[in-house]
Amino acid sequence: MASLSEEVLLVLKKVRQRKQDGTLYLMAERIAWGPEGKDRFTVSHLYADIRCQKISPDGKAKVQLQLVLHTGESTTFHFSNESSAIKDRDAAKELLQQLLPKFKKKANKELEEKNRMLQEDPVLFQLYKDLVVSQVISAEEFWANKLGGVNNTDPALFNNKQEVGISGAFLADIRPQTDGCNGLRYNLTADIIESVFRTYPAVKEKYSENVPHNLTEKEFWTCFFQSHYFHRDRINTGTQDIFSECAKQDEKGLKSMVIQGVKNPFVDLLTLDDKTLDEGYGVSTTLPSTSNANRTVKESSNYAIIKRFNHHSAMVLAAGSHFWTPLCITLPAQFFFYIFFETSSTDGNSRDSDFFQPPVKKVKLQEAIEYDDLQRVNRPKTVPLNLKKSDRYAHGPVPLQSQQYTTSQEIINSVNYIRHEMANYKPNLTQVLSSTVASSAIAALSPGGVLMQTGAQQAINQMIPTEVQGELKHLYVAAGELLRHFWSCFPVNTPFLEEKVMKMKSNLERFQMTKLRPFQEKIQRQYLSTNLTGHLEEMFQTAYNKFHAWQTRRMMRKT
Amino acid sequence: MKINIEGLLVYFPYDYIYPEQYSYMLELKRTLDAKGHGVLEMPSGTGKTISLLSLIVAYQKAFPLEVTKLIYCSRTVPEIEKVVEELRKLMEFYSKETGESNNFLALALSSRKNLCIHPEVSALRFGKEVDGKCHSLTASYIRAQRHSNADLPACSFYEEFDAVGRQVPLPAGVYNLDDLKDFGRRKGWCPYYLARYSILHANIVVYSYHYLLDPKIADLVSKELSKKSIVVFDEAHNIDNVCIDSMSVNITRRTLDNCHKNVDTLQNTIQKIKETDTAKLKEEYRRLVEGLKEANVARETDVYLANPVLPDEILREAVPGTIRTAEHFVGFLRRFLEYLKSRLRVQHVVQESAPQFLKDIFDKVCIDRKPLRFCAERLQSLLRTLEIADIADFSAVTLISNFATLVSTYSQGFTIIIEPFEDRTPTIANPVLHFSCMDPSIAIKPVFQRFQSVIITSGTLSPLDIYPRILDFRPVTVASFTMTLARTCLCPLIVGRGNDQVALSSKFETREDFAVIRNYGNLLLEMSAIVPDGIVAFFTSYVYMENIVAAWYEQGILENIQRNKLIFIETQDAAETSMALEKYQEACENGRGAILLSVARGKVSEGIDFVHHFGRAVIMFGVPYVYTQSRILKARLEYLRDQFQIRENDFLTFDAMRHAAQCVGRAIRGKTDYGLMIFADKRYARADKRGKLPRWIQEHISDGSLNLTVDETVHLSKHFLRQMAQPFRQEDQLGLSLLTLEQLQSEEMLQKIAQIAHQT
Repeated sequence: MASLSEEVLLVLKKVRQRKQDGTLYLMAERIAWGPEGKDRFTVSHLYADIRCQKISPDGKAKVQLQLVLHTGESTTFHFSNESSAIKDRDAAKELLQQLLPKFKKKANKELEEKNRMLQEDPVLFQLYKDLVVSQVISAEEFWANKLGGVNNTDPALFNNKQEVGISGAFLADIRPQTDGCNGLRYNLTADIIESVFRTYPAVKEKYSENVPHNLTEKEFWTCFFQSHYFHRDRINTGTQDIFSECAKQDEKGLKSMVIQGVKNPFVDLLTLDDKTLDEGYGVSTTLPSTSNANRTVKESSNYAIIKRFNHHSAMVLAAGSHFWTPLCITLPAQFFFYIFFETSSTDGNSRDSDFFQPPVKKVKLQEAIEYDDLQRVNRPKTVPLNLKKSDRYAHGPVPLQSQQYTTSQEIINSVNYIRHEMANYKPNLTQVLSSTVASSAIAALSPGGVLMQTGAQQAINQMIPTEVQGELKHLYVAAGELLRHFWSCFPVNTPFLEEKVMKMKSNLERFQMTKLRPFQEKIQRQYLSTNLTGHLEEMFQTAYNKFHAWQTRRMMRKT
Repeated sequence: MKINIEGLLVYFPYDYIYPEQYSYMLELKRTLDAKGHGVLEMPSGTGKTISLLSLIVAYQKAFPLEVTKLIYCSRTVPEIEKVVEELRKLMEFYSKETGESNNFLALALSSRKNLCIHPEVSALRFGKEVDGKCHSLTASYIRAQRHSNADLPACSFYEEFDAVGRQVPLPAGVYNLDDLKDFGRRKGWCPYYLARYSILHANIVVYSYHYLLDPKIADLVSKELSKKSIVVFDEAHNIDNVCIDSMSVNITRRTLDNCHKNVDTLQNTIQKIKETDTAKLKEEYRRLVEGLKEANVARETDVYLANPVLPDEILREAVPGTIRTAEHFVGFLRRFLEYLKSRLRVQHVVQESAPQFLKDIFDKVCIDRKPLRFCAERLQSLLRTLEIADIADFSAVTLISNFATLVSTYSQGFTIIIEPFEDRTPTIANPVLHFSCMDPSIAIKPVFQRFQSVIITSGTLSPLDIYPRILDFRPVTVASFTMTLARTCLCPLIVGRGNDQVALSSKFETREDFAVIRNYGNLLLEMSAIVPDGIVAFFTSYVYMENIVAAWYEQGILENIQRNKLIFIETQDAAETSMALEKYQEACENGRGAILLSVARGKVSEGIDFVHHFGRAVIMFGVPYVYTQSRILKARLEYLRDQFQIRENDFLTFDAMRHAAQCVGRAIRGKTDYGLMIFADKRYARADKRGKLPRWIQEHISDGSLNLTVDETVHLSKHFLRQMAQPFRQEDQLGLSLLTLEQLQSEEMLQKIAQIAHQT
């Protein structure tokens, strides 16, 4: 993999890895490390494989840099040059910081997905090699069919990696620690930062506005932790820090959520009461007034905490739930939040009309009055499992092969059916074959018999070396794939399909020329029966015939 | 299934029945037979509503002449809609079984806000605005004016209804609020007025308490309802407070200022009319001389439901001469207003009775008792005569005149308290005059007198004997039913100590104690780790919750809880709370789990159910005593002691326990549901508190679970939750807590059922 003319961007000596001294190289496309005195790299990671980097906190004795890969593995480098350890580490960090995002964009979701599919499916991989690598068809054509097919048939397989939500306590996980000299230290990980961004889009906006033009990353987060925004019990009046705007924005978000109201009429406290008392009536109207003027500082700070908690929980919930929709998966977080707010505001508008409400309401009403245990249930009858040792059933071996599962009702039905059939079974003795005819028929149908000559499997197994068999298999798969593409074009009713069918025909011909012919020649050289590829040829011929028929018809129509 | 209840054939729209439902119907039937009133307590989630409806509908069908109407009162709009849906189910069952189409008319009635279909009016957000706007479009004189001036805006739905809607009665069927709106849209009729008109001949009416208990509304809506009706108050555990609220008045300086403006407007309008149309005023004068004879006749012939604000005596008399002319009346109002203003200028708290107040007003401004009593009636007449469009603007002067009538009518059962400032802020002058009703029986008396059977029922009415006493009526049946259970699906635990043996209590002395707050936090934290899905926690008051939340935040407890579940907190803003509630449910639905911190006596505790996974545990932090320092409460307690011989402590405990029971009962709905009920206060262990919980909760509190530590609670809860997580099928219940018709008919079972009802 290492091309000869690789550009080395940075070389750092005295870097330890696994307690071994060595040198760290940062190159154009990868980071590599080799032990002292040897001229090969024992560690080498492409930037595209790296998910993130972590550094050890400033106060710590060991100066370290950790690389976390997409696969979950990690590699730690220890900078042991006494005089310039921190400088070295920071240099590496800075450089990586610039390089990693570039490669991140490259390794986008789709590529990963394709990669995964190829790795998981060896047949597909072989096919890919046969068709795409040998340039029979283009990669796009290949994937257009594959990805679409997979997506349509089984979305669960495609999305089998569920997006992880945000922990409700992510802010709590940032445990401040005293650093011994009258200060606090916060531990930030990439996950926490991501959580903060996903939950508080306003902070992310601030981040992209200010970093790195006005503030360094560190300064930004210091600001964040010092801000009144983070300490949510404070009231943000007249503070000058950059987050006061975020608080306002949050307030607005909260308000819009409140105004938008609730969809479920059963939890809408505003419409709960049928007839509120008019102003001035009633006993309990002496509630402390909620206007801010009358509140003491403590009360309003308590109120702020409560509001923030509600807001925080709502945002965490929203951040989690919205990642279910496939639309958002490929979008960066900030876009996704815009979408969230936009859809919610349109919801809010449409809510006012009566037409929107009833379905939810009807369902909820029905749910609320349902007593399921008072009703007789009409589920399909099941066969109770009579277990002597239930734990053996629970822990026993489970067959792995997939089965066609049938419901017990169906099994019961078919058993009944067979029993019924058997009860009425009467052999029709006047119309049976004579025993000699029957045995000759069986002989003819047995392997090696008159009728079974083409299916001489054993013969092929023994006659042909295994590598030729393998090759033949690949040829079959590849040809099958091409033919599938070809046949899927019929009936040809759009210009696009027309174009495709032409292309596929030439693809087929090319395949025949570049793959099938050499194979045929090869087996001829080995003096094997050329009959092996007969069936393949036949399939190609059928396709050509179809193509010609279609073409002549088209010509006739044109003329 | 069809059941025989002591000779009455009852159609019950399910295949199975709970034994307690049968028992409930039995008691209900006996009450109706005796034409008396009843108090019935049955656990929430045991199908109380459908039992009530099944029996009463069967009764109505069997004795159409004796019972003509069922008036079903519930508390909230969703409750009302639920009742109507259950009724629909019952009616469908009837027509399926009998093959006849149903000839019953059943409908829900709600305020204009929920029924209006006028595109502009219904878009308004608040009930009061909708009412005002509607009034400005449909008041009789507005419509009269329109004859001369066709440009005035009109409500086409009302016009259409008024023109043809009354001729054909609403076809038989079950009409929920949405059905009424649909019907209205189809016909182009106003659903609200249609419903109000139709309740007169409907067989079943479902509406909220206020339509019967609030004299201001009852007089408009319900006064012509037939005497031969059965009235049901469902969820009636708070009925006394509804009664009191509807009769109490608060007057602040702002009220008086608004009132001043109103009176000025009145005077100007009178001047204008005088110049243009004196005949109108003369006509009114003549009417007033003749007196309120019509109303009197109606009441004597028993056509109308009595109005407690309009006592019998004044009906026989004419409006006194001093306030008969419009100007005199306005002058009278001014004098009264000035007097009230002077009373609000006090420096210290004043408490006096109604006679004292009347004597004082006579001494100071020479206002007699008699004209005061006619004040409300006189104002109504004047407003009608002056053709005031927007009644809502005149709410202040209406309030004052109602107050005048009430204070001069009732010498007992009310108290007047004038407070110059709020207790918490003694430096800010904010005088309030509380005219507070202390006797709930005043408002409900006409209902008991008029209707032949009144049923008061709820999941939590314990102790049962207190309701007849405070509402002053004599029930023929008083019964409490337990919940028969095939598995113990509720688990009440009383947590009395923290792990460090600190006694847990919300009592005043230890309210600020950090040890208690910390232990409460620990309890919630531990529970959040073991309880699946939703947990609801109730605090005794809003202020207490705010303080605890702040303390928990500082101690880092909330952060730790957030690791397990999301936290949502009730606020004083209803819209905000609604949002929090919805998000809470969403978090329970998607499996993340959440905690809702809420307040007993708050809106959430009163109206929201936490069924199944929405509430697997309810934690009651402290005993929800009412704020005892309030003077109004003190006056009420005194009154209860003097009049009904109910000791202060008994009433306070009763009140606290009914709210606690309400809160914890929110989590259980039906026998397939399950939930933990955690009472986190050592005072719950005392017999006087525990004994006031409903029987169906009490009987599951074992002696061993009276004074648990947090750890023990966690241990017991884990065990309970594991057990409950096992599959629970219908067959497990059958014969025990669920009966088929055959099982119901067996002799042995009937004997067992007889024990379910707990007579007191």
